[in-house]
Amino acid sequence: MASAFGNLVMAVRGIGSNWLRTLLTMLGVLIGVASVIVLLAIGTGSSQSIEKSIESLGSNTLTVFSGASSSSSSGTKIRNSTLNTASVSALSNSLNDPDVKSVSPVVTTSVTATYNGSSYSTSVIGSTASYLSAENYTVSAGRSISHADVADRAQVIDIGTSVASALFATGSDPLGKQIQLGSSEFTVVGLLASKGSSGLSNQDAVAIAPYTAVQDQLTGESASFSELLVQGKTPATLSLAESEVESTLASLNDTTVANLPFTVIDSASLLSTATSSSKTFTALLGWVAAVSLLVGAIGVMNIMLVTVTERTREIGIRKAIGARRRVILTQFLIESTVISFLGGIFGAFAGILVSHFKIDGVTPVLASYSIPLALGVAVSVGIVAGFYPAHRAASLRPIDALRYE
Amino acid sequence: MIAPSELEAPDHKAIDSTKPEPIIALKDIIKSYTMGGVEVLAIRGISLIVERGEFVAIMGTSGSGKSTLMNIVGCLDVPTSGHYRLDGVNIRHLDDLALSRIRNKKIGFVFQGFNLIPRMSAIHNVELPMTYAGVKPAERRKRALVALDMVGLGDRLSHFSSELSGGQQQRVAIARAMCTNPSLILADEPTGNLDSRSSAELMSLFTGLHDQGRTIVMITHEPDIAAYASRVVVLRDGEIVSDRPQGTSSAVSYELSPSGRYSFGDSGVES
Repeated sequence: MASAFGNLVMAVRGIGSNWLRTLLTMLGVLIGVASVIVLLAIGTGSSQSIEKSIESLGSNTLTVFSGASSSSSSGTKIRNSTLNTASVSALSNSLNDPDVKSVSPVVTTSVTATYNGSSYSTSVIGSTASYLSAENYTVSAGRSISHADVADRAQVIDIGTSVASALFATGSDPLGKQIQLGSSEFTVVGLLASKGSSGLSNQDAVAIAPYTAVQDQLTGESASFSELLVQGKTPATLSLAESEVESTLASLNDTTVANLPFTVIDSASLLSTATSSSKTFTALLGWVAAVSLLVGAIGVMNIMLVTVTERTREIGIRKAIGARRRVILTQFLIESTVISFLGGIFGAFAGILVSHFKIDGVTPVLASYSIPLALGVAVSVGIVAGFYPAHRAASLRPIDALRYE
Repeated sequence: MIAPSELEAPDHKAIDSTKPEPIIALKDIIKSYTMGGVEVLAIRGISLIVERGEFVAIMGTSGSGKSTLMNIVGCLDVPTSGHYRLDGVNIRHLDDLALSRIRNKKIGFVFQGFNLIPRMSAIHNVELPMTYAGVKPAERRKRALVALDMVGLGDRLSHFSSELSGGQQQRVAIARAMCTNPSLILADEPTGNLDSRSSAELMSLFTGLHDQGRTIVMITHEPDIAAYASRVVVLRDGEIVSDRPQGTSSAVSYELSPSGRYSFGDSGVES
């Protein structure tokens, strides 16, 4: 029996005899393996940034949306089913809700902010001072909007770093400047420290103003809020806070918790939803890449069939001088495996290299499992794609193979 | 020559316990092919005994069945019916694996087209059958060196077949055929692609091997090449039409050439 090493040397020699063809075949596997690694890295990178951005929302907040969740949509009663100042004061009552630290009403809108000819489209959040701490925003310069600002309906605003850099020249101090939001002017009183970009949205492209002023100037007077941001006392008691919020709102609206016309979401469940959807996304990307790997495999099989045909005579000679079926089978299997494995190695390098670049706003993060996975698949591809051609070679009758011209 | 009738039962272990078994014992070999739905009889009942140490030339025109016979004798093909014992082994019911082992251990092939493996150096080509036989690398190298030295190519070990002349390639093929120490050297038109000088050199190698006691069966259609053999078997239409011994292989001359002793159905051979 020929040694494994001898077979390997023979395979490399066979591959070297038609290096251009072999390189092109390897390229197919290379692209497949590289795309598996890169796409999985993109998936992993984007899911990590989504998770990070959700974590930065604060781990102990609840968001109350108006509108029933689908499971409790039986109620037809719409009366009083809005989130208003009454809801805020009811929830802020520490007797009813001992585990709630703060309640911030939220009014959001999107406007174009302009200053001195520069303009920037930003989302404006109308809320109270407690919103900043609940959302983990800190003020790096100036001051936060205050309760007094809310009560005074003061047109003051805290702006994120993206807004500041878009509107103001570097070096100039935005504090105290009047910026135009729609048709009204707001005075910049504070700069928010950067929270960084996330997969969901740029958290620095925000401006936070008192909700009273936002309602007066931008959204129009309304008794209702789009959502309430509830901050729990500790992450551990967040579920207690959630049931307190639900029962308080139920009694306020004369209904039961089951028929509550609001949806309460805690950040942890938001995180798990986002995580599972980003996992689906990553898996989908992996399958797309797997298709290109399959195409690479077909290339390997194709080239092995050509090789077997070309070397029919050689197979005949080998069989005539005593090569057994298994030796011929092994020889061609090793050849196809070497092609796929080399393609896989180079593909892994290419994939790792490409993963160092930011792709479409996403910083890819190499998934540790993707490299052994891609290489393992590449080797299996070589074996599977090589098997049929190798089997064909091994089954040739020596007499037919020798006669082949 | 031994009459074919001496070969009796197919599973008869030894024909005569006092004598060693012949290298080749063919009895009533028939080989038919189906070509385009028509059955063609390539060999119509050949019985032949080749004793140890003989140098047999098998002659015949194309279509006489000599290549088919050579494939059967070389265990590259199996007869449709009849019995064949090679060096005491009945090869009738052997499977693929056993046949490849027999080809590897008992037969050394020399083909018309040289049939060296391209992209492999001379010494690697010679080592290949030993590799398949499981000979250890050091031993393999040693035996290949001896064999190549014997055929006069001791200085061309690492040349590829494309870098060797036809005569040199055929000598590498002989080295490859010899190195496993086979019971039988089977040559199919070994000089078919060679000029007369290379042919003469090659035939003197065969003669040397015969003088060492090797058994050689050579297929040829050239009478002056057949003249080197100690026995000439002539085939026509799948049957043996002539089987006669001739003078010692060392005394080669045109006078001993069998041309003219028999006639072929179609010709071109004698010219």
